[in-house]
Amino acid sequence: MTVSAPISSDSTADSHAATDLDAIPEPFDYNPSSWSQRIPICVIAMVGFLIATYMGLFQWKLIDSAWDPVFGGQTEAVLTSDVSHWMHKWFLIPDATFGAIAYLGDAIFGLAGSTRRWQYRPWLVVIFGIDVIPLGIVSAVLVAMQGLVVGSWCFLCLVTAVISLVLVVMAYDEVWACLKYLKRVWDETHDRKLLWDVFWGRRTAEGEAIGARFATPATT
Amino acid sequence: MWSRVVEIMLGCWLVISPFIFAHPDTELTWWISDMLCGTAVILFGLLSYWRPARRAHLATIGVAIWLIAYAYLRSSEATGAAIQNAAIQNNMALGLLLMMFAIIPNDASKPPEPWRVPTGDTTRSGSSPQEPDDLPQSGTDRQLAASHH
Repeated sequence: MTVSAPISSDSTADSHAATDLDAIPEPFDYNPSSWSQRIPICVIAMVGFLIATYMGLFQWKLIDSAWDPVFGGQTEAVLTSDVSHWMHKWFLIPDATFGAIAYLGDAIFGLAGSTRRWQYRPWLVVIFGIDVIPLGIVSAVLVAMQGLVVGSWCFLCLVTAVISLVLVVMAYDEVWACLKYLKRVWDETHDRKLLWDVFWGRRTAEGEAIGARFATPATT
Repeated sequence: MWSRVVEIMLGCWLVISPFIFAHPDTELTWWISDMLCGTAVILFGLLSYWRPARRAHLATIGVAIWLIAYAYLRSSEATGAAIQNAAIQNNMALGLLLMMFAIIPNDASKPPEPWRVPTGDTTRSGSSPQEPDDLPQSGTDRQLAASHH
């Protein structure tokens, strides 16, 4: 079945699936790029940023002690362990600071873009997804390993690991819709140039038509 | 434009970094690199507000890469405690931060400009008040025209 791009320039055009900013992409019954979906991610990422920054300040020796209500002095043992010193060498900055920047990135990339960015800025959603999902899982695994390898546990590290995993769950839907849209474009056209243009959010007739069929107008 | 504002503030931080971290007078290249990079970041941020140069902020990515590369370059010759040198860490952290902010488009909360007009509006490339901005590309209008028949 071929469906041509809907041509309409009347006042109802804005509510149409082709350009409706609140349109709902497959396979969801809500818009994962909406502010109500993205703002909570940014808020939680900023909590992670603050906690990681606090630990980074300790590793920078700008504060003398690190708070830990459960494991007592073990947090400071983790934050000054050999592992953390190796990571400091690789990243050139303390590992907690590196994590803080990654959480800040989650918030920045979560905030940027319109509520239809799954179609209008796939590159941004993909960068957001890379920052949140693979980086989040790797950092959570590293925190768990740090506990096992160093032999000490760090309460705030565990909190940030949980935050990372929560963010993965909260962010996956938008990334999924975006990748599914890109795959749909590829499946229907097998046109590399078009996929490239669509990835960078350029407006093409084919991409627009596929996007219009991919989304349903908001029900409000 | 929040991203441009943050970039300009980070640029100011870079310019005053040699004073904050008290670079020794003998480290002239650190002084020059920090101040030059900071000035460039401020300049690219401000230029982005001028429509013909609205993508100037992308040049900040280059500055960020330089900051990170220079940090690694200097850390490889340093040994022991010197690796924790504040200037190296400052360059690394600022490089990462600037890289993240620099890729954020202007007016990031709105759709890219070609998408701001409704479907099938053939006037958008000619007489629309704002000419297509974000990632304009030659094929678009031709393809849109082709879809009309």
